[in-house]
Amino acid sequence: MTQPAPPAQQDAPMPAAKSTPDKGGSRRPLGLRMDVRNLSLLGVLAVLVAVGGFTKPDEFLATSNLQLVLTQASVIGVVTVGMTFVITSGGIDLSVGAIVALASVWATTVATQEFGFAGILFTAVVVGVGCGLVNGLLIAYGRMVPFIATLAMLASARGLALQITDGKTQIVTVDSVLDLGVRDAYILGIPPLVLVFAAVTVIGWLVLNRTTFGRRTVAVGGNAEAARLAGIDVRRQRLYLYLLSGLCCGIAAFMLIVLAGSGQNTNGNLYELDAIAAAIIGGTLLSGGRGTIVGSVLGVLVFTTITNIFALNNLESAVQQIAKGAIIVAAVLVQHRTLRGAGEA
Amino acid sequence: MAPEPPLLTMSGITKSFPGVRALDGVDLEVQAGEVHCLLGQNGAGKSTLIKVLAGAHQPDSGEIIWRGEPVSLRSPIAAMRLGIATIYQELDLVEGLSVAENVFLGHEPTSAGFVVRGFAARTATAELLQRLGHSEIDPSRLVGDLSAAHQQIVSMARALSHDVRLIVMDEPSAALDPDEVDNLFRIVGDLTADGVAVVHISHRLEEIRRIGDRVTVLKDGRAVAVGLPAESTPTRDVVALMTGRNVEYVFPERPDKPATAVKEPVLRVEGLTRRGEFAPVHLELRPGEIVGLAGLVGSGRSEILETIYGARRADGGRVLVDGAALPPGSVRAAVRAGIGLAPEERKTQGLLMLESVTRNVSLSTLSRFSRAGWLDHRAERAAAQQATRGLSLRPDNPDARIRTLSGGNQQKAVLARWLLRGCKVLLLDEPTRGVDVGARAELYAVIRRLADEGLAVLLVSSEVPEVLGLADRVLVLREGSVVHTADARELDEHRVLDLVMEGSPSA
Amino acid sequence: MPEIPATSRRGLLFGTAAISAGALLTACTSNEPKTEKQPADNAPVADDKPGKAVTIGFAGPQADHGWLNAINVNAKSRAEKYSDVTLEITEGSNDTAAQIGQVQTLINKKVDVLVILPADGKALTQVGLQAMKAGIPVVNLDRIFASPQAYRCWIGGDNYGMGLNAGNYIGEQLKDKPNAKVIELAGLDNLELTKQRTQGFDDALKNYPNLRKVARQAADFTVESGQAKMAQLLQAQSQFDALWNHDDDQGVGALRAIAQAGRKDFLMVGGAGARSAMDAIKADNSVLKATVLYPPTMAASAIDLARALGQGKGVSGMAELEIPASLTLYSAVVTKDNVDEYLPTGFN
Repeated sequence: MTQPAPPAQQDAPMPAAKSTPDKGGSRRPLGLRMDVRNLSLLGVLAVLVAVGGFTKPDEFLATSNLQLVLTQASVIGVVTVGMTFVITSGGIDLSVGAIVALASVWATTVATQEFGFAGILFTAVVVGVGCGLVNGLLIAYGRMVPFIATLAMLASARGLALQITDGKTQIVTVDSVLDLGVRDAYILGIPPLVLVFAAVTVIGWLVLNRTTFGRRTVAVGGNAEAARLAGIDVRRQRLYLYLLSGLCCGIAAFMLIVLAGSGQNTNGNLYELDAIAAAIIGGTLLSGGRGTIVGSVLGVLVFTTITNIFALNNLESAVQQIAKGAIIVAAVLVQHRTLRGAGEA
Repeated sequence: MAPEPPLLTMSGITKSFPGVRALDGVDLEVQAGEVHCLLGQNGAGKSTLIKVLAGAHQPDSGEIIWRGEPVSLRSPIAAMRLGIATIYQELDLVEGLSVAENVFLGHEPTSAGFVVRGFAARTATAELLQRLGHSEIDPSRLVGDLSAAHQQIVSMARALSHDVRLIVMDEPSAALDPDEVDNLFRIVGDLTADGVAVVHISHRLEEIRRIGDRVTVLKDGRAVAVGLPAESTPTRDVVALMTGRNVEYVFPERPDKPATAVKEPVLRVEGLTRRGEFAPVHLELRPGEIVGLAGLVGSGRSEILETIYGARRADGGRVLVDGAALPPGSVRAAVRAGIGLAPEERKTQGLLMLESVTRNVSLSTLSRFSRAGWLDHRAERAAAQQATRGLSLRPDNPDARIRTLSGGNQQKAVLARWLLRGCKVLLLDEPTRGVDVGARAELYAVIRRLADEGLAVLLVSSEVPEVLGLADRVLVLREGSVVHTADARELDEHRVLDLVMEGSPSA
Repeated sequence: MPEIPATSRRGLLFGTAAISAGALLTACTSNEPKTEKQPADNAPVADDKPGKAVTIGFAGPQADHGWLNAINVNAKSRAEKYSDVTLEITEGSNDTAAQIGQVQTLINKKVDVLVILPADGKALTQVGLQAMKAGIPVVNLDRIFASPQAYRCWIGGDNYGMGLNAGNYIGEQLKDKPNAKVIELAGLDNLELTKQRTQGFDDALKNYPNLRKVARQAADFTVESGQAKMAQLLQAQSQFDALWNHDDDQGVGALRAIAQAGRKDFLMVGGAGARSAMDAIKADNSVLKATVLYPPTMAASAIDLARALGQGKGVSGMAELEIPASLTLYSAVVTKDNVDEYLPTGFN
């Protein structure tokens, strides 16, 4: 239990506890609390699936459509996992879309492509982490407000991406990268990009819920002053969090390169809003202190499913946008109801 | 002047908050044109009472009669419409707006109902400022650019911009220099000459003598004296009224062992200073000893604790734990050396209010329950449970949300955090704030037991009886300086109150 | 209990890794293409014997899209060909106010002729009028000003014609096929030009009663959106015969989606005339069989016109003494048969 020997007086104050066994029965599994929160989103998702299945039974309910929806969700999904950490810590990262753009164009220049698969992957990830590092340093040690620091990164990264591309579309000619996106690469019917998304989700969930890193993230978001006075290095934690968000952007950029077969400075357009919206709808508090990876992923899936149903039904762009707004409001309202019903605040 | 009814009569006002009965049948009577002083220790209910008067809190029961008519003050606006203006201790001005905009915030002079007549507002503000003797304040300046004293004047101008009959001032002189205080009192004199009543809250007895007409003393949510003459009532009587308790706290026995001077001090503070907050402080803390710091709000007591802890960076001096100096301004170094802090504001500085007891208790000890970053939830929970049981924290459920706990149990969770960490020095800042009377005794017993088990405790409290009852030695602070050090048994409450208020160790 | 030991060693490792990664990365920003062909190498509008020296001011939007970049490249390389032309080119901007400022600077510099591709035609009309009043002839490129008084000559593409030609080409290819299904992948739907292209396409399809448009989705000119929207369209339509995609940039993404879905059972027509699209047409190994041009060479022609205006010449090969007031370019259909001819104009 407590292996590193605690100081001498540590045991003394609690003599009563020694004989009392842990009454495990009263313990509520950790997942259950989140389930109530996510149940409503699952409900929304179920309604969407019903609508899709009803309007376009053949196309919507096909395996290929499931593969499609999950693939389309995977890039923004990975970004959202990183964003969930940042928001849980009470921060915000407006630069995710721009970092994805920069990483995707940097990784698809003629010079990078000469290094092949590894060169592209390495560059995308390192550019993402590098941008995250700059964000983190500015916020944690430069004492900049996250909103402003990442807004500055948004502008600079987009600018640099444009500078590198000159507005051109950089087409990927490395077959090993392109091949990851085609049907032949599916593993047991699962697209590799979806596997990456699933892996990032699982790792993200474990890190947030099962590690000291995750706990410190929640503590910093819930009450930074209390965390600091409890001896947690709040600044270093913040640095790591933006680094993590950058890493997720780098991975997402590589996935986008596989998906779109190219790098373009317009990549990742408005990802920041999509990722924030998905996280918030999922139940992560915008003010920090509470975050749920499962909720965020469900939020992303709701968005992607909406888009899918619209496209399958050949709705006009204008109608799509109106309906999307209405569905977001409906989803949040349903969630609030469910929460109140379940007695959660 | 007997036939004229009082301007304001409050009778039998009660107000409860979860776990605390803040007001327990308070009576207050204010005449037009008088300065009525409200006295009482921290937590006596003064703030709650003036918030009821300002319409910010609704009383649970009781009656308010305003100029002969019973009224209910449903909102701050309702109170303002009647002519009751409140100047809070924490100034409630909008720093990004100009002086004139602040003065007329919410009742701007308008044309056609919505077009703000800025010129009219500025002219009227200039007149008000002139009346307050501060015509040098430019009505178009941003309030955020003004000094604290000038902000106070703007607050006052805002009160006067209404058709005001009663002004409530909560410690208006706390932020002011002596000559600014003089000016404030001159204004108060002018106002009362015009028939405006002033309810004045202050800790400074000499001020009350200077401008007060009558005094009402609050204690433990009750008015223990109503309408005493301010000039002629002796200070000793006032202090006695403020301190004489109905509820006697049960303080734990001090250990029989004589002064712990035989042991080496675990904590030494040598000449620690922060400019503008406190003068060089020296103190030594031995294992098993409880040392109390007594003083008023603003006397520097919390600042001293936070500086020892590294949460504020010292301008000078050293903090040594077991003879080793700590780097200044590093909480992590202090924690590593074995210091723990239970901060003054539990909710904003101490706890993660959304989280469980376990997660709050384990916050400083996470690495003990982890291997390569992976948390062992079972070990964490078991350890937290063990630590909280040792303090008989209720409910005995480590998964309970901290925010559902009472103040006393929340405080125990904070203590449990440091016990789990195994610290040597515990800094307690107002450990019983927001803790109801019954639970206090239990908390005192816990603190004493921890000391008996070898912890060194440094206690800060604005409640003098608490310091005297719990501590072994007491340092009395006044305006950032230690004015007296003594064995707790050699001091009594009156003596300490004299010291913290008057500053001179009068016999 | 030490919280996290050996921070410094880790920090050092991390630092070293970061520095070497940085060094490697900066080397990777290079985008030098292996072969760079100069586009627009065809005959000029006016004769190219050196004449009076002309200073041409050029103001365009930010080149954040392949086609817009090609506009800049075409203008610059054309101007370089003339020894008597000096080109004053401004930093591209998508901000109307910034672009107005840039044009005003060019007016103040007293350039001889202005070539303006406005970020927003209507919003820049006033500054066009200003220039004309100041005696500087304006060649309005592509996005037209609200008033004809604001330009001396307008030259631009034909969005309606693009749709029309795409539709007619598809119609001809499928004219023997009964009940043929057509789908459309449009560009950014809140742009007027997208509406015009769709209108032209629909009008052309009316000429072929056997064709039916079964689906239309709008992407936003980016590769990413092209891939996403096309993937959805492919899922929605298990079988169709032809696809018109408005823009070859988003077409890169659309082609990826088609390849990822493993679909080959239809004919695809692109739009604008990107180099990658032309290469694919030439290679003839994908569904992309043709693209309708929206030629960026119009910028080169605009330089020709500006030079001619500055030197007081007419268009060679025409009887007119004056430059025409407006020139609408033809949206040619590039297929395997004629792709070699157009390949040099394809943009990246």
